[in-house]
Amino acid sequence: MKALLNTGILLMWGLAAIACVDPEDKPSNVHDLRVLGVSTEQPELIASTCEQTPEAFDELAEEVTYRALLVDPAGEGRPIQYTLWACADQADSTCATEADRVLLAEGTTTAGELTFPIRPGAARVAGDKLLLERVLEEDAYKGLGGIRMPLVLRVTAGDEEVYAQKLMVFWCPVVEGMTANVQPVIPGLRVDDVPWPEEVPLELSGPGPFVVTSEDVSDREESYVVPGLRLDAVHLKEAWEIAWYTTLGKFNLSETGGADFGGQQGRHRVEWEPAEGAAAQDVTFYAVVRDGRGGSSWVMRQARWSP
Amino acid sequence: MSPNLNARCALAAASLLLGSPALAQAPQDGAPPAEAAPSAQAQPVITKPPELLQQVEAAYPPEALAEGVTASVRLIITIGADGAVTDVLPTEPAGHGFDEAAIAAVRQFRFSPAEVDGVPAPVQVEYVYHFTLNAPQPEAPGPEQQAPAARKATLKGQLISRGSRSRVAGATVRCGDDPEAPEALSDEEGRFSLEVSPGECAVRVVASGYQLYQTKELLQEDETTEVNFYLAPKGGALETVVRSERPKKEVVRRTITRQEAQRTPGTFGDPIRVIQTLPGVARAPFISGQLIVRGSNPGQTATMMDGVGIPLLFHLLGGPSVVNAEFIDQLDFFPGGYASQYGRAVGGIVEVGTRKGAADTLHGSVKVDLLDAGFFLEAPVTDGVSVAAAARRSYIDTLLPAVLPKNEGSTLSVVPKYWDYQLRVDFGAKRGANTEEEARARAGGARSTGYVMAFGSDDQLRLVSSGPETERDLTVDTHTLFHRIKGDWTYSKGNFTSVFTPYVGYDGTSFKFGSAKQDGSSYTVGAREVLGLELSPTFSVRTGLDLVFEHQTFDVEFPAPENFEYVAFPGAESVGELLVEHIGLGSFDGALFVEAELKAGKFVFTPGLRANYQRAGDARNVALDPRLWVAFNATERTQLKGSLGLYSQPGETFRFIPLPYGNPELSYQRAFQSSLGVEHRLTDVFNVDVTGFFNRRFSNIVAPGQLLSLPGGGVFQVPYSNDGIGRALGLEVMVKKQRASATDKWSGWLSYTFSQSLDGRAGPLPEGRGGFGGFGPTGDDTAYGLSPFDQTHILTLVSSYVLGNGWELGGRFRYTTGRPTTPLNHTYDLYQVDRNRFSGVYGPYASARMSGFHQLDVRVDKSWQFQSWTLGLYLDVQNIYNAENTEFTFNDYRQRREYEVPGIPILPVVGVKGSF
Repeated sequence: MKALLNTGILLMWGLAAIACVDPEDKPSNVHDLRVLGVSTEQPELIASTCEQTPEAFDELAEEVTYRALLVDPAGEGRPIQYTLWACADQADSTCATEADRVLLAEGTTTAGELTFPIRPGAARVAGDKLLLERVLEEDAYKGLGGIRMPLVLRVTAGDEEVYAQKLMVFWCPVVEGMTANVQPVIPGLRVDDVPWPEEVPLELSGPGPFVVTSEDVSDREESYVVPGLRLDAVHLKEAWEIAWYTTLGKFNLSETGGADFGGQQGRHRVEWEPAEGAAAQDVTFYAVVRDGRGGSSWVMRQARWSP
Repeated sequence: MSPNLNARCALAAASLLLGSPALAQAPQDGAPPAEAAPSAQAQPVITKPPELLQQVEAAYPPEALAEGVTASVRLIITIGADGAVTDVLPTEPAGHGFDEAAIAAVRQFRFSPAEVDGVPAPVQVEYVYHFTLNAPQPEAPGPEQQAPAARKATLKGQLISRGSRSRVAGATVRCGDDPEAPEALSDEEGRFSLEVSPGECAVRVVASGYQLYQTKELLQEDETTEVNFYLAPKGGALETVVRSERPKKEVVRRTITRQEAQRTPGTFGDPIRVIQTLPGVARAPFISGQLIVRGSNPGQTATMMDGVGIPLLFHLLGGPSVVNAEFIDQLDFFPGGYASQYGRAVGGIVEVGTRKGAADTLHGSVKVDLLDAGFFLEAPVTDGVSVAAAARRSYIDTLLPAVLPKNEGSTLSVVPKYWDYQLRVDFGAKRGANTEEEARARAGGARSTGYVMAFGSDDQLRLVSSGPETERDLTVDTHTLFHRIKGDWTYSKGNFTSVFTPYVGYDGTSFKFGSAKQDGSSYTVGAREVLGLELSPTFSVRTGLDLVFEHQTFDVEFPAPENFEYVAFPGAESVGELLVEHIGLGSFDGALFVEAELKAGKFVFTPGLRANYQRAGDARNVALDPRLWVAFNATERTQLKGSLGLYSQPGETFRFIPLPYGNPELSYQRAFQSSLGVEHRLTDVFNVDVTGFFNRRFSNIVAPGQLLSLPGGGVFQVPYSNDGIGRALGLEVMVKKQRASATDKWSGWLSYTFSQSLDGRAGPLPEGRGGFGGFGPTGDDTAYGLSPFDQTHILTLVSSYVLGNGWELGGRFRYTTGRPTTPLNHTYDLYQVDRNRFSGVYGPYASARMSGFHQLDVRVDKSWQFQSWTLGLYLDVQNIYNAENTEFTFNDYRQRREYEVPGIPILPVVGVKGSF
């Protein structure tokens, strides 16, 4: 206990000191090439049986839609090259091991939402082996967290290069009560407690801060069941997190929601402050939601801001 | 007029204080018999002061005589165990040939042997030799002038130290400067009785460590005049003028006195933080008091109070240590190579020796500083029984509301508070006898002393943050406390010594965080018995048992924690179902140790063996720790020394709870320690020690361990494993200057360590990478490399100077090499989408370092002495030139750029202390 406390004390001092240092690059401010979110529709595939039968593998080989939210505010519409691989090892953040990777898509696009269909469950690697089986072989937990296949998107534009790894989850009903995940969706946003429509840019003026909130999502957070490490059923409830982005200024928090280990959930409330000295301009906002089990989606909003 | 030559001397007061490392090259020939416990908790006590048996008059220097010059020569006399004078050194040269004359005379003195803990032992006393010129003898009176009978008056009284009310023993009281006049010597209570002729008495009181006291009293014939004289102490607070040498069983033992513990600049008067200024101890980040000793990790150095482990060393959030500086007598620090009676540590040992209550009268102090206020009291209760007590409480909880931000829509409440206490009752000293000899004779030559001590600490922290404008409603409630009660019975008869130390304890922890709750309690019962026997002047043995039993229970309510109950998906943590557990576990750790000391010429060999047995839950562990210490006393002032041995540390009891929260398979953490050094006493006040060391740690406990497949299915990650390894080598230099006397104004030390320490795991990094040895992640697959705490050069200079008139100025300068870092090598962004975090691309592990650390701390003390008490005020300024030292580096969110986290800026702290 003493050692734990000692480490905790050091950590606390470190965090307190970090709070005194203010890096220039803020996570909520998008100003160059970034991948803000990736989702698959369906967010996970679940077979009807855990027996490794051809039927079960066929169920896991269904087509899903891959979506990525690319932003490049300074790119002025320049082309962005992309490549999407699936590979076997989560620790291989760039899918660099050629023998264990499968090319799913590649091409050129521009900033915005990149969408295409993929069938990662059907992907095969050297020796005509299903990539799913290779993923399972690499998994130290032997599939107790599902088969988590890394999907690595590489995007490049100019001299900027980003690798974005998303885990695609394949399940089977290991314990009773397991059901497929439903994609999380933000029901709506509000600014200073006024609904923020998707279609019409909001008129904002002044230095702010402007309070941005999400409509209540608590009734959409699913209760679900996963296999425990002792092969028993563990009951969990989602605690969504929302990441906030803006093309001007910053949010006071870059991420809201989620739960700490005491089960205390955060509220989805942020304050947006325009950059000091900025001129009147159109501002784009993004809110990316994650459900903590692989599901994700996003909403975009526009505003016309003047000082 | 022919001057009448006379030289007189007076034996100065002999207040005995404890030995210092500067004088610790124990002359082995005269050392006491095998001490049962030569540690800080077994403080040697002078049981019989030396008495001057044979005095030799000094020759008055002719030139001084011709010039009519007088002088007082202050000397430090080293008296051997046989009563012979072995060394004489003047503390302040008087010139005019007085020093040489006094030394020549004193060398011929003969004393009765002093006794420490009942056995003859070498001691040092301060001695003032007065050279005075007598007035010419009046002509012999005629028969008609002769008084028929001597008339008498009596002056009785007590000598009291001004500002502290301590009784002044061993002082001489006389009327006038006539060397032939009768004089009285004050007893232990400071009382004296002087019979002189009636009339005006020009009182002169001479006492070691005090200014000459002069006053006039009109004494009536056949009457007794009662007085109290308040003597003003000389110099600063350090009044250590007489030292006893404790036999040194370890290669390196560094001792911090109470004065040093309270007044070392930059430590806020915290005794544990003073240890960080010693060789072998790496600098801990910020103002943390972590002890990182010879490459070991925090938590691998045991800290004990009078032989009983302190379960929690620091108050809230790395605040002050639970060791109240007022209550300590001194601290012994063993960076390695310690004796077989010490165990349960693979790093160093810190032994806090507590303070015995005053035997003369009630004393005490009250101290107030930025964080807390406390008091200390000590007093004799009855004959042979004394008590000392201290307590401290923080008041940050009352100040914080004034500085916390207040916003509409949110409430923030932070209530931290802590308190601690120490209580010690000593008994057995003399018990009705007038002298130690009488007490011992009554007991048939045996001597028993003992004490009962209690100490404890309590820390509470409550943090509540709520309201619609906060990120989340947050409640944290923690409460940790411990209490220990120990006894100590020391029995000695002839060459046999026994020290028995039983103790019991209770620890409580309570933690609430949202819906997570944990209430833990731990009961401890332990005992230590150490037997020492001197079989011959060249051979002695020491043996004993060191047992401790703990029973811990935990009531836990937690939302199912990820990776313990299920495989977590990266990213947002879900809310788990509430788990309710009651866990109880007992553990026993026992050790049998034996140690012999064999003197062969100038060599002293001390082989030892400590056999450890641990039983925790289903675990059964055994570890044998053979150790050897060899010393070669090259000269009276120089000693070569070396040691090697094995050391063991059991895992804490809670680590043995069943999977997945503990690992019942854990075994002892082990270490091999070796050292080789030389210690040389340059003068009586200057000491230098150079020691090289090489340590290897193995089977150390790290977290987490590897994944484990269960026979019936399922997989666990073992939370702890014995995969930790480490290695450290280095060289330590310590040069220390002590105050020779109360009038010596300067003291301090230079501490330098050159070292390299490696840390890591014997196998591959576990799933999730986990901790690297005792600390953070590596960032790559490296499992063994430079310790995160490695500092090649560690230099500390500590100095204190008594300016006079109650002023004292101190400074501490530190330089250390920056800690290793793994440099960022960004070439592209690595975005973990599910986690919404970026991973870094790094260069080779620990291939860079932070910039070096340098800092100067300054402390100014001012004290005002009143008749019965002393008021002290201090200003302790950390980092006085506001150096911007880097404590950590962290990266921006995309892991593109490193940012340096600065350390503590200039930080002044003011405190007030009143003592009586």
